[in-house]
Amino acid sequence: MAQKKEVLRVKNLTKKYAQKEVLKDASFSVDHGEIKVLIGPSGAGKSTLLQCTNFLVIPDRGRIWLEDREILYTKKKELHEYRQKVGMIFQDFNLFDHLTALGNVEIGLVRVKKMNKQEARERAVAELERVGLRDHVAKYPAQLSGGQKQRVSIARALAMDPSVMLLDEPTSALDPELISEVLAVIRALGEEGMTMIIATHQIGFASDLASEIIFMEDGAIVEAGPPAKILSQAECARTREFCAKLTSLY
Amino acid sequence: MDELIFIEQEVLPALMRGLRVSLLLIVPSAACGLVIGFLAGALRVYGNRWIKALTSGYVIIFRGFPLVVQLFIWYFGLPHIGIYLSPYAASVIGFALCSGAYHSEYVRGAFLSIKRGQRLAAQAIGFSTFGMIMHIILPQAFRRALPGCGNELIYLIKYSSLAYMITCIELTGEGKVIASETFKYTEIFFIVGLVYLLLTSVAGFLLHRLENSLRLPGFNHYRL
Repeated sequence: MAQKKEVLRVKNLTKKYAQKEVLKDASFSVDHGEIKVLIGPSGAGKSTLLQCTNFLVIPDRGRIWLEDREILYTKKKELHEYRQKVGMIFQDFNLFDHLTALGNVEIGLVRVKKMNKQEARERAVAELERVGLRDHVAKYPAQLSGGQKQRVSIARALAMDPSVMLLDEPTSALDPELISEVLAVIRALGEEGMTMIIATHQIGFASDLASEIIFMEDGAIVEAGPPAKILSQAECARTREFCAKLTSLY
Repeated sequence: MDELIFIEQEVLPALMRGLRVSLLLIVPSAACGLVIGFLAGALRVYGNRWIKALTSGYVIIFRGFPLVVQLFIWYFGLPHIGIYLSPYAASVIGFALCSGAYHSEYVRGAFLSIKRGQRLAAQAIGFSTFGMIMHIILPQAFRRALPGCGNELIYLIKYSSLAYMITCIELTGEGKVIASETFKYTEIFFIVGLVYLLLTSVAGFLLHRLENSLRLPGFNHYRL
C-alpha cells in the first residue's frame, strides 16, 4: 500500500467559555481513508472539538493543517474554502427548512461553488441517489423521517467534495430502526475510502470501522488507540470504566 | 336626488383625485419602508456593536416621535437648514422611515427565530456571512416576518392620511376641503372611511394570498 498521506492535523486546540475550559490542548491527526471515532461522556468536549476543527467555534488557541497547509481562519476566503473541504454532519441534521431535499444539496453547489444550475442539479440528484433517496428529492425536511433527513445532510456534505468529514453524533437523535439506515450509509462511505472523524456512542459500529478510538473527558483527550485496545484493555482506569458501560449498553 | 347628483358631480371626482395621490404616497412608502425595515432588521441582528447601536438608535427615534411631528420636521423644520422638500417628498420620506422602523422590529424577531443550526449548517458548507443571510436566513425570516409586516402595511395605508397635515392633499385632504365647503362632514367622511376600508381590505386579501403562496410544508404554522 502506498505511503499514508496525512489529511488533517489539529494541534493544541483550546477553548474557554467564561472560566470553564471546555477544550484543553486537544491534538490529533487523520490520514487519508482513515476513520477515527471520538467517544466520551456528554460534556466531554467532543462536539466542541469537532466544531473548533472547522472553526464553527473559534478556538482560543491551536493550529490546524489541511493537506499540509496551515489554515489561517482570520482570512475569510481561506476559511470559506477550508470549510467546503471539511464536511460536517450534525446531531440534529440542520437541513435548510425552506428547501426540498434536492434544494438542500444543490444550494451549496450553486451559491458557494458557483456551479451552473444544470450541472448542480445532476450532481445533487446523484448524491441523493448515493444515500438511497432518489424517490424523495422533492420532499421538504418536515416530510422526511429523521433517518432520511440525516442522509440528506450527508448528501449535502458529500456534494461539496470534502477531503474529510466530521460527524457529530450522527445517530443520537434517531430511533433504533433509523439508526441502522444512517449507519449503513456511513459504513458505505468508509468502504469507499472517505476520511472521517465520528463522535458517537454506537460502540459496536465504532469498533468495526474505526482505525483508532479517541477517548475524551473534561475537554481533554485522555487516551487514543486501536479499538481492541481501548475497548478491552485501556491503560487509563476512567477509559476502562466508560467503555465497560458502553459495551454493556449497546 | 340632489344628494346623489351632488355626490356624483362634486364628491366623487375630488375623492378619486385624492385616492390617486394617496396611492402615489402609499406604494413608494410601503416599498421603501420594507427595504429599510429588512436592512435595519438584519443589521440589528448581524451587525457589529456600532452598527447595532446605530440602527437601534434609528428605531428608537422613529418609533418614539409621533409621526405628525416627524412630518412637521421634514416639511417645516428642514427649510431652516436650507433643505426644501415638496409636501409629497416630505410625506414619502416620513412614511418610509417611520414604517421601516416598525418593520425592522418584526424582521428582527423573525431573524432571531431562525434556529442557530441553520446558521451553522450554512457556514459548514462554506457560505460567507452575506451569502448565508441572503440564501438561507432571509428566505425563512421573510416568511416569518410577513404577518407582522403586513399589519404594518395596512397601518401605513391609514396613516398616509396624515400627509394632508403638511399640505399634501390626498384622500382625507380632499374630503376635508369638500366637507368644510358643504358642512356635510358626516356623509363625506363616511365615504372617505369606506374608501380606506376598501384599500385595507384589498391589501389584506393580497397579503393573505402572498402568505399562502409562500407556505411550505412544516415551516410556517399549520393551518388549524
